[in-house]
Amino acid sequence: MTEADSPTWRVPPRWVLLVAVLSIVAAEVGGGSMARFKVELTRWARDGMLARPAVHGLVGVRDVDERILDEALFKFDAGLRLFHMHAEGMGLVIIATSMVAATVIPSGAARRTIIALLTTGGAGYPVGYLVWSALIPSFGLERAKTIAEWLVWVPFGSATIVALWWLAGLLAWAMISRRRARPAA
Amino acid sequence: MSGTVRRPPLAVVLVAIVMLALGETAGAAMSRFKPEIQRYAATRVAANPGAHGFSGSAEYDDEVRDRAIFTAEAGLSFFHLHGEGVGLVLFFASALVAAIVPGRRARTLLYLLLGLGGLFPLGYLVYGAAVLELGRDAGIDLAEHWILTPLGVSAIAGLIGVWLAAARRRP
Repeated sequence: MTEADSPTWRVPPRWVLLVAVLSIVAAEVGGGSMARFKVELTRWARDGMLARPAVHGLVGVRDVDERILDEALFKFDAGLRLFHMHAEGMGLVIIATSMVAATVIPSGAARRTIIALLTTGGAGYPVGYLVWSALIPSFGLERAKTIAEWLVWVPFGSATIVALWWLAGLLAWAMISRRRARPAA
Repeated sequence: MSGTVRRPPLAVVLVAIVMLALGETAGAAMSRFKPEIQRYAATRVAANPGAHGFSGSAEYDDEVRDRAIFTAEAGLSFFHLHGEGVGLVLFFASALVAAIVPGRRARTLLYLLLGLGGLFPLGYLVYGAAVLELGRDAGIDLAEHWILTPLGVSAIAGLIGVWLAAARRRP
């Protein structure tokens, strides 16, 4: 009987669990900080934008500029909220999926690769929202989004998606193999 | 004292993992292909003018079209959110069933209810597509009545079953 046939769970490596819990803790701290330091964060972002009027297309007309600043501040706040939400969710996703990978995948190399992709992808992806928010005052909405997208979201998000589908494929394969093996046994 | 913890059947775990994978993929698609998705939605709305109640007045029709596209996008967004959330709920709830429910029949019934409930997010894919093909109200009604409600009830029944099993469990 292989490990994949065992009807009990196997715990993923400790570093994986530490990363996952750290992601959840960071999300909690992020959520708490957003609420506690809302005014300070908004002031910091606003000052940053006012210091770079050309980046944000500020024209010096109060009515026009306030609308632009409001939109940028809304996105700045949305980035922080999305970090909070995704870091909490992805922490749980890392724990659940790495546990499945540790339990079901018999091949050591595939198991280690999938767990590494799930952990780095899952923990790294939410950081993109922090990067996006942090870059908005300096680079403007679109440029900040592009940087976060290519620096964080695309590589880490792709790692998670590839690992999840790979894991689903191996899981389906494990089911088929067990069904085939059953009559012979 | 620590011991081994039983795991649920692979089929249930597979549903949870596939739902998580679909949720992730939908999130990425929403972000990377937003203009393409909006264009496709606009094309489907235009292909079904009767279902959307177009009047021939450009102003009114534009508003109807925008609302239908917004609703279809919301369906995709709900699918992303629920795919991730329900995938995790299914994973952890079925792990609890495996660990604490003693009877084989009771476990099988709970796996079935939770597994069906795990398919709940697919209702939002249908929601998005049906809105474009059948019109906003008819599409939402179809998805809610035939998919979201029965699968949601199944998930709730499964979770109540897990709660009852935990409450009845002797320490």
